[in-house]
Amino acid sequence: MTQLSERWKEVIGKVKTWAFTNSIYVVHFNSGSCNGCDIEILATLTPRYDAERLGVKLIGSPRHADVLICTGPVSLQARERLLRTYQQMPDPKFVVVVGSCGVQGGVFDGCYNVMGGVDTVIPVNAYIPGCPPRPEAIIDGIVKLLGSLRSPAKAVPVLNPEGKVS
Amino acid sequence: MVATAPAPKPVNAELLADVEPRFVKVREFLEPIASRCTVAPGFNSPEPNRIDVNIEAGDLLTAASAFYDNHWGYLAAITGLDHGPEEDYLEALYHFCGGAAVTTLRVKLPRHGGSVPSIAERIPAAGFFEREFAEMFGVYPTGLQDCSHLFLPEDWPDGLYPLLKDTEIPSPKTIASMDGLDKPIVDQGGGRFIVPIGPQHPALKEPGHFEFTVEGEIVVGASMRLGYVHRGLEKATESRNYIQNLYLLERVCGICSHTHASAYSNAVEQLAGVEVPLRAQAIREIVAGLERIHSHLLWLGVAAHEAGFDTLFMYSWRDRETVMDLLEQITGNRVNYSICLLGGVKQDVNYAQADALRAGLDYLEQRSRHYYEVVTTDSMFLQRTRDIGTMSLAQAEYLGALGPTARASGVVRDVRVEAPYGAYRRFPVSVVMDTAGDLEARFKVRLKELFVSCSAIRTILDNLPDTELTTRMPRRVPAGETVSRVEAPRGEAFYFVKSNGTDMPERVKVRTPSLCNWTSVLNQAIGRQLADVPLLIAGMDPCFSCNDRMVVVRDNSMHHGVRSASSKGDAHHTEIWTWEKLRQYGIDFYRRGGNK
Repeated sequence: MTQLSERWKEVIGKVKTWAFTNSIYVVHFNSGSCNGCDIEILATLTPRYDAERLGVKLIGSPRHADVLICTGPVSLQARERLLRTYQQMPDPKFVVVVGSCGVQGGVFDGCYNVMGGVDTVIPVNAYIPGCPPRPEAIIDGIVKLLGSLRSPAKAVPVLNPEGKVS
Repeated sequence: MVATAPAPKPVNAELLADVEPRFVKVREFLEPIASRCTVAPGFNSPEPNRIDVNIEAGDLLTAASAFYDNHWGYLAAITGLDHGPEEDYLEALYHFCGGAAVTTLRVKLPRHGGSVPSIAERIPAAGFFEREFAEMFGVYPTGLQDCSHLFLPEDWPDGLYPLLKDTEIPSPKTIASMDGLDKPIVDQGGGRFIVPIGPQHPALKEPGHFEFTVEGEIVVGASMRLGYVHRGLEKATESRNYIQNLYLLERVCGICSHTHASAYSNAVEQLAGVEVPLRAQAIREIVAGLERIHSHLLWLGVAAHEAGFDTLFMYSWRDRETVMDLLEQITGNRVNYSICLLGGVKQDVNYAQADALRAGLDYLEQRSRHYYEVVTTDSMFLQRTRDIGTMSLAQAEYLGALGPTARASGVVRDVRVEAPYGAYRRFPVSVVMDTAGDLEARFKVRLKELFVSCSAIRTILDNLPDTELTTRMPRRVPAGETVSRVEAPRGEAFYFVKSNGTDMPERVKVRTPSLCNWTSVLNQAIGRQLADVPLLIAGMDPCFSCNDRMVVVRDNSMHHGVRSASSKGDAHHTEIWTWEKLRQYGIDFYRRGGNK
């Protein structure tokens, strides 16, 4: 009986991973970007690059999202809104940073209103550098994240609501 | 391709013919005010198209009003200029632009505790400029109603003014307290509610926080808080050299990056007295034209999305990829092209690229014609745009609107025509106008500008001058001040650059068009349905990373010329309700039969 339930757990786990990695809902947050990455993310979702064929869909509410796509360095005023948006997402949740300034502050490093990269505020699972990264690079980053979720060997840690690795 | 370049026109004579009569008028109406100034009376003309007038702080309102009473141009920006602890004074520079002429009112102030009278009552657009000035330099205009933070965060330390030369700003990580989340007060009493939108919201891809006060479905008040993307670039320019700044300022905005790069380059080249080779000027304008096409197509898609017309969104973004390919072919990057160098351009346009451009433009023109037909004939779409958000010519001028938003209301305001710079002197463009002033007119103006840009690029390609691409640029720029104005896709971008003879600028002031257009949007929203608001915001093509500043409050008691829905209850009465009370109110409200 126990054995069966273990087996079922495994099967259910596989189904969940399959479903999850084939229908990623993303929410986009700009915490101080110049727009360059934002328009490239939008270009990634529109007909030429069409990320929806990979199951990636942009949605409006963080409460329905699996992946938070962040752009830009974190400005002082955006920091707590970014944190709050992150906290509103249900588990499991992942963060992808698009653009060099979201990775490390980039060209805005040292500006008085800039905290630095996104990982100064919330934990980040994937970094996509570039100023801005091409849509192909953004797709590649998301596909790599999904690949790591599918393969347990490269599993990305699941994060608890406080943003700590559990 | 190279053969017949038109003979260069005598630029200066043309410029002088335009600005001379304007300056005669300025001298006429400012003479009595300028003569009262004890610091340095009289008029200086540092550049042929500029005139500086020193005035006393007390005369500011009279002087600023005189420009509007005499119909002489509009307030373009307020620049704060700190002369440092040694010289120990500040200057407030009020730039007024009329045609190619720029008149600057200069007010000398003490570095600490100075004050100027507010001119926002007379010139609404000045409200934002004044608040920015107050926040950055600690000079609070007397009579300014709202002195709260404009684009610094709420928990910014008191008395820390970032743009003063001797201000030492602590590390952002020590300023950041992770608490103090803003608490929206939802109910305003008297049947009014606030609908908060943003900073993260599905419609716009950039962060801005809006609070629309509604009575039923009708918007009666609007306010906004920006500054989520304020990074502190003006301060950053002071610790980077001229070449580094070119790449920094290009990233003021990713959509109109070339505008910022070229406005800055023009300013530095003017200061250094360097004439950019004609071919380089032409290539800059080709890229500027392509940028306008990409920006307007982007806008068309986003605006259509706000109206619920996602088919148009997807089609326009599909076709936008054509222009992105062209930009990539010429510059090497899809966004943030970095084509400008100080003194020239980085890449040439060869025959193959020119042919690709011509073919791409033909396709884009054909598609744009189709979109023009769609937005002017689709009856469902017209219900969302025709006669909505109408702004009259007088309102547009009064509120200081710029770019296509102003041109759709019949204001002739386009720097490319009024004060031609770079290749626009040799390859003039026409101004696209409309008089209706509603959302449909803004669609029409922007789409027609696509045709103008296409034909302008073709003309330049056919007459591409055969010169060098760059010229020698000194590393140290001689001391001086200059103003550079460039027409961005959204309106006029205004740069003020002061150099001090070193390889770093002393002050770079950036004023972007979105900052001037917000007042008009918030005024249009009042009296409209809440559902119209997203399209109204999109209608001005807002660009947050460009302006990233300010809070505005326009209540129906304050705004001018717009019909207010109803005015029951006290607009300023505020009461905090609990969630339970709000819920009960909602139940009672609909049991009563709604907003009868």
